[in-house]
Amino acid sequence: MRALSRREFVRIGAAGAAAVPFVLECAPAAAAPTAQAIIDRIRQNVRVAWNPASVDTFKGGDPSTVVTGIATTSLATIDVLRRAMRAGANLIITSGPTFYSRADAPTPGSRRGAAPPPPDPVFAAKNDFITRNRLVVWRFSDHWRARTPDPFAQGIADALGWAKYHVNGDPRRITVPAMTIEALARDVKTKLNVRGGMRVIGQPEARVQKIAVLPGTIPIQTTLAVLPEVDAIIAGEIREWESSEYARDLAHAGRSKGLILVGRSLSEDPGMNICAGWLKTVVSEAPVRWIPAGDPYWRPAA
Amino acid sequence: MTAGDVVDRIKKNIGVPWRDTTYRDTYKAGGPETPVTGIATTMFNSFDVLQRAVAAGLNMIVPHETTFWNDRDDLTVVNADALFREKRDYLAAHNVVIFRMHDHVHDRRPDFTYVGSARELGLDPARESPPGSHRFTIPETTLEALAVDVQRGLGIRTLRVVGDPKAKVSRIQLGVGYATPAANVPDVDVVISGEQQEVDGFLDGPEYVADAAALRLPRGWIMLGHNVSEEAGMLEMAQWIEKLVPELPVQLIKSGEPFWAPK
Repeated sequence: MRALSRREFVRIGAAGAAAVPFVLECAPAAAAPTAQAIIDRIRQNVRVAWNPASVDTFKGGDPSTVVTGIATTSLATIDVLRRAMRAGANLIITSGPTFYSRADAPTPGSRRGAAPPPPDPVFAAKNDFITRNRLVVWRFSDHWRARTPDPFAQGIADALGWAKYHVNGDPRRITVPAMTIEALARDVKTKLNVRGGMRVIGQPEARVQKIAVLPGTIPIQTTLAVLPEVDAIIAGEIREWESSEYARDLAHAGRSKGLILVGRSLSEDPGMNICAGWLKTVVSEAPVRWIPAGDPYWRPAA
Repeated sequence: MTAGDVVDRIKKNIGVPWRDTTYRDTYKAGGPETPVTGIATTMFNSFDVLQRAVAAGLNMIVPHETTFWNDRDDLTVVNADALFREKRDYLAAHNVVIFRMHDHVHDRRPDFTYVGSARELGLDPARESPPGSHRFTIPETTLEALAVDVQRGLGIRTLRVVGDPKAKVSRIQLGVGYATPAANVPDVDVVISGEQQEVDGFLDGPEYVADAAALRLPRGWIMLGHNVSEEAGMLEMAQWIEKLVPELPVQLIKSGEPFWAPK
């Protein structure tokens, strides 16, 4: 479905007024869609079968809120919410959780058999911030990452200036001019603005050309399937008893292989820039902008 | 002396009933009948560690962590891989026997990994309160100064920190490996641990501590990396095994921090 223009929206609202008086009552605001209407439009346009059991649901705020602007991000931190507000956005679309867990509930979870946890000042302040400022937060993770081509890989490839190197249009497999792992790592660090989250395995002087771009978290099964076929993997995070040890053993055995980790959230930041661009093709009534969450980690100067 | 003899003494002296249901604390190469020339403890059983142990004349490895890059050391996960076959063939060619010690290290008191980590971090056991809580109070400092001390003291290349560098902190909750305490544990300023998944866990540390910082609540999160956070305790394990098996040489061979970062 294409986006309705303001005029079409008003006309439909007026024509349907007899059947739906609510629309008439709200006529002055009817031109601007609600958060729920935006999400419905996303569902209709994403071209991925909708899974109601996914994490892609509202995490805070009232879905009937009229949207003045939309911000996309990889992590809806309080800092991101503040920056979104300053930019005039009141609908925040995040690929990561809002309330610090997969459950993403507005109060801390309790472990099975344990007493309910005490009230938490950070949870409480974030809830209060969202309510007081009439923000709406919606998670867009499972369905966004199911799109083809992979928008998170696309975001990283674009940020690295690698659009021209895609293999068969797939941003997850890129052949770049040969360079050392150290040079590649430095390039990734600079262009993705990685701070303390940067971690690399591999001989720094080994030369690499075939790169797999795998944002998010990758299990050992993926690394075992992919790393033998490419020279280096750029990923968000791994488990440290899995892929990093495999990569360490590969490098020790003399293979020219690298594993470059930038952190889960940072690896998804550029993909939410792609999301902002896509949303502009679906929503014409409100401005859309990308608010990068950035690298949460720092490390002291050596 | 055989590996079986060594393992019998470990099981008899570990101080807690042996759990036969463990899939971790089992042989990963060789078996009880393998004759032992010497014993190496380590954190991760990397190819590098194996070669250094063999060069030192030690053919029994007691690692805390995995050999074949998955928690169960399930060979069906890795058996199509060329590097797996190289590692397996190396083990066979040098008659290496591997017996992992993970679950029972964490079951016993004290847990070697906490003892070693506190020692390396310079956390005085006398300031652990209550005893066994892994909670330490240090003289008030800033998160940045603490992070600098930790980075220098442990010689870590890829320390990762979240929180306001200027936050005043003094109450530390120590974790090890993947057993990272929740970032919102009450009456604590800083969690120091090894590793935690960044997003979609039970209580995601990075986002929680970043939000606490945005609210000017003093909170810090210092991740040492899984290897660094538990490897110190493998010295305690080596010393403990040495007493049980005085007939054989026993030493720690460090796998070391796997990561580096570009300048």
